[in-house]
Amino acid sequence: MDLNQLKKDAETGISLIKNTSDLEKWRIKYLGRKSALSLFFNSLSKLPIKEKKKRGQKANAIRQLFSSLYEKKKNDLKSNLSFSSNFIDITQPGERIRQGHLHPLTLILNDIINSFQKMGFSIIEGPEIETEYYNFDALNIPAEHPAREMWDTLWVKSDVKNQKSKMLLRTHTSPMQIRFMETNQPPFRIIVPGKCFRYEATDASHEIQFHQVEGLMVGEDISLSNFKAIIEEVVKDIFKQKVLVRFRPSYFPFVSPGVEVDIKMKSKAKGQKSKVKDEWLEIMGAGMVHPDLFKRAGYATNRWQGFAFGLGVERIAMIKYHINDIRLFFSPDIRFLEQF
Amino acid sequence: MKFSYNWLKDLLKFKESPEELADILTMHFAETTVKHCGRRIILDVDLLSNQVAEASGHLGLAREIGAILEKKFIYPKINLKEKNLVAKELLDIKIKSPNCNCYSVRIIQGVKTKESPKWLKEALADCGVRSINNIVDSANYVMLETGQPLHSFDFDKICFKSTASDKKEIIVRQAKKNEKITTLEDEDYELNEDIMVIADNKNLLALAGIKGGKESGISKNTTNIILEGANFNGANIRSSSKKLGLRTDASWRFEHNLPFNLTGYAVDRLSQLIQEVAGGNILKGRVEQGILKEEKILIPIKWENWEKFLGWSITKKEIVHYLSLLGFSLKQKKDYLLITPPCFRNDIRIKEDVMGEVARLYGINKIDSIIPKEVLSIPLQNEFFEFRKQIKDWLKGYNLEEVYNYSFISEQDKNILHNKWQQKLVEIENPTSALTKYLRPTLLIGFLKNINYNFRFVDKIKFFEIGKFYLRDRKSLKECFVLSGILAQKEKSNNDSILFYKAKGIIEDLFSKFGIDKDNYNFKPLEGTEYSLLLEQGAVIYKNKDLIGVIGNPRRNLLKEYDCEGNSIFWEIKLLPLLEIIKEEREFQPLPKYPAIIRDISFIIPQNILIDKILKVIQDVSPFNLEDVDLFDVYMGKNLQLGTKSLSFHLTFRSKDHTLKNEEVDKEMKKIYKALENIGAEIR
Repeated sequence: MDLNQLKKDAETGISLIKNTSDLEKWRIKYLGRKSALSLFFNSLSKLPIKEKKKRGQKANAIRQLFSSLYEKKKNDLKSNLSFSSNFIDITQPGERIRQGHLHPLTLILNDIINSFQKMGFSIIEGPEIETEYYNFDALNIPAEHPAREMWDTLWVKSDVKNQKSKMLLRTHTSPMQIRFMETNQPPFRIIVPGKCFRYEATDASHEIQFHQVEGLMVGEDISLSNFKAIIEEVVKDIFKQKVLVRFRPSYFPFVSPGVEVDIKMKSKAKGQKSKVKDEWLEIMGAGMVHPDLFKRAGYATNRWQGFAFGLGVERIAMIKYHINDIRLFFSPDIRFLEQF
Repeated sequence: MKFSYNWLKDLLKFKESPEELADILTMHFAETTVKHCGRRIILDVDLLSNQVAEASGHLGLAREIGAILEKKFIYPKINLKEKNLVAKELLDIKIKSPNCNCYSVRIIQGVKTKESPKWLKEALADCGVRSINNIVDSANYVMLETGQPLHSFDFDKICFKSTASDKKEIIVRQAKKNEKITTLEDEDYELNEDIMVIADNKNLLALAGIKGGKESGISKNTTNIILEGANFNGANIRSSSKKLGLRTDASWRFEHNLPFNLTGYAVDRLSQLIQEVAGGNILKGRVEQGILKEEKILIPIKWENWEKFLGWSITKKEIVHYLSLLGFSLKQKKDYLLITPPCFRNDIRIKEDVMGEVARLYGINKIDSIIPKEVLSIPLQNEFFEFRKQIKDWLKGYNLEEVYNYSFISEQDKNILHNKWQQKLVEIENPTSALTKYLRPTLLIGFLKNINYNFRFVDKIKFFEIGKFYLRDRKSLKECFVLSGILAQKEKSNNDSILFYKAKGIIEDLFSKFGIDKDNYNFKPLEGTEYSLLLEQGAVIYKNKDLIGVIGNPRRNLLKEYDCEGNSIFWEIKLLPLLEIIKEEREFQPLPKYPAIIRDISFIIPQNILIDKILKVIQDVSPFNLEDVDLFDVYMGKNLQLGTKSLSFHLTFRSKDHTLKNEEVDKEMKKIYKALENIGAEIR
């Protein structure tokens, strides 16, 4: 057995080792029970004592050298390992930052309001518990008007017995038209976002509570064409140009003429399946402000004109997010909320 | 309302397909859809409430279609073969009620009641009306044709004016209290003075405008009939029909105030039809009372007003063209156009109505869109709205989910609340169900329901809502915008305080983001406030002397009622008082002239000594040079005696007029040590 050669081989071998499993193989090869060195020690027993001692000393020295080489390499690898923990896998996902979510109605309301603000509309707010006067009478809807059918009402019990101030939950945001005009002079343009209520059995498309954005723009010559232009701009802005708008006649006692605004999603490119039905959807009732309202607000006759509208927020949200059940908005479900 | 496509086509002879017609009507009149029922084609027109008077009959709708298609519509001519006997000699009409505008009848003798011919039955079926017999069917047919409800009485069942008279009399009057009538459908109604009736000298014949009476109705043996066409006040019919709980096709039509002049035309038309399908002799003339023609309205509109109001430039010729199509009478003057609406258009009252009609016929969808020539101005900021928007954005950043709950609470929710809270509830007079009987006095109840529901999917909940609560305060009803939230975890932990500090941290951080200093508000014990009936272990938040919010654990009984597991912490803060703090004038503080000395202090102190108290003790002994005290560490647990806590503060000293020396601060610190030892602190 050529111990010098063995030593050489072992030294070369270990210098090339880069990981612990190769090191273990090296250990088995040079220090293991069946290693050349072990076999060499075993073979010594058959030799005479003097020879045994001479060869044994040399082999022992080699064994010690191997052991120290092994330990050193082991430590080297270990420190290499700690070096490798500095390694950055640039493809590994970063640490997740958790955020909550705004409700879809908040998101849509923000969109709507931003669009109108760009057009110079100010935000005004009003009470949810209203008087019968502002909700109905002041808007040309006296008690026996057949149009009251359109606004099924939830009445609020109150101790005040004055007929004019019978209390109710506002059925639309339109009462703010009169409330605002009573204390402000034209020209102005305002929007009134807010919660409204109707006496309604809830199902997938009806809710006892919902949100509207009322709009009112009055000046000396604000016309029907102006109304059309502003609504077209705003609706296109809200829906990022992906929508068609149409205007058709309607009737509300507090406007003349009355207008209804429908939208339809533009058809998608070929092959893409649209989740939205290809049909016109009503989003807004509107019209030119009835002169009776100006009179009630105390304005000079024949001086002012303008338009008013009421936009359904849930409706827009349902169209924009393809939500098919209005009840999802008011029955907080974490699986729904986290999607926005 | 259902219209027969073929009926309309017969009247107007247009070429448009049902779908084309529906489209045209939708864009120029009212939303219309087509329904095919076998061979029948039905147009379902969603008549607007101002259109009912004008177009709830096939004639009216055909006239309207004619105007849109620019096709002349001609009324069917009525040719009556009358007998020499004059109807007036057999019957008188007396209107005693102010709610009847006019009343018009004809008498036919010798009719034969039988089944209707096939065409008549089919026409009714198209419009969803059941066939009864040829007389009743004819009346219904003419109603569908003209829009005027009609009624037929058995002439022989009406009594004479008096025993001496050979004349009969129909009286239109208000009912007397407790008068009773049985209708054609065998229903009994007890009446009062508010309800208008048709009567003879002895009996009630009909509920005016709503339903015929059984006694006077047409039967198999009827041979002589009275045909009634009347005009009633819409508001009265509407309120009567509501009071009686009886709505009919007729009452619905009358509610919309039909044109007066329709009555005579419709009665004549009906007479002709009955003669065709039931034979008999029509007596000469109508018996009529009341106003038979509408007052003529004149509406002048200056030529320059058109473009100003409508917006796009429209020529005189176009204006005259469209108004003529709609049947308006016009007189062109130099400065203005004098307009009289057609007699069937009682919905046209003011100049805006007239100009609207032109826009409608031209097509609102086709008019020019013109951006207004307004002075550019930046819209006013709504601070409160922006404030709420900002809060929402920040709370989202704290990993909270925004929810919208119902503004209502149920009868059951009410019963769970303490008496004191029950008394303050705003009550709904006509709730849709027991679920919507009251308005929420706090947003807590909604959250508790949310916890119960969402624990099916997740173990932790962090929700917030910005909305209103509603309270009755003496006589007035109050609504108040609040920021509410709840943190909840399904797993029960023995330490409620972790969630409490988390929620409090959110509130404090939110406040500080808005620049609301600790001097602006403080936390006080919950006990003694009404919130202690909703929450336990918590605090109320005060701004000066006003309670503006609360934070704490919902009471155990509430959690149990709503089946909420684990721990939860709720808060609710009124938003307007917060905004007021923010809006207060902020002034620049001059930068300090002299440097500060910062010392740290740590001590062990019994847990029941509150941080507030410690701060006060520190500040009280060194009021001049101590600028700031900042708690930076709290420790309880291992290595500490039970019932004690270890606190560490940074103390910042600064003088306004000189650079502080260490010895000066040492002196202050000694005072602070002593004061703290006096309340049981062990300085470390």
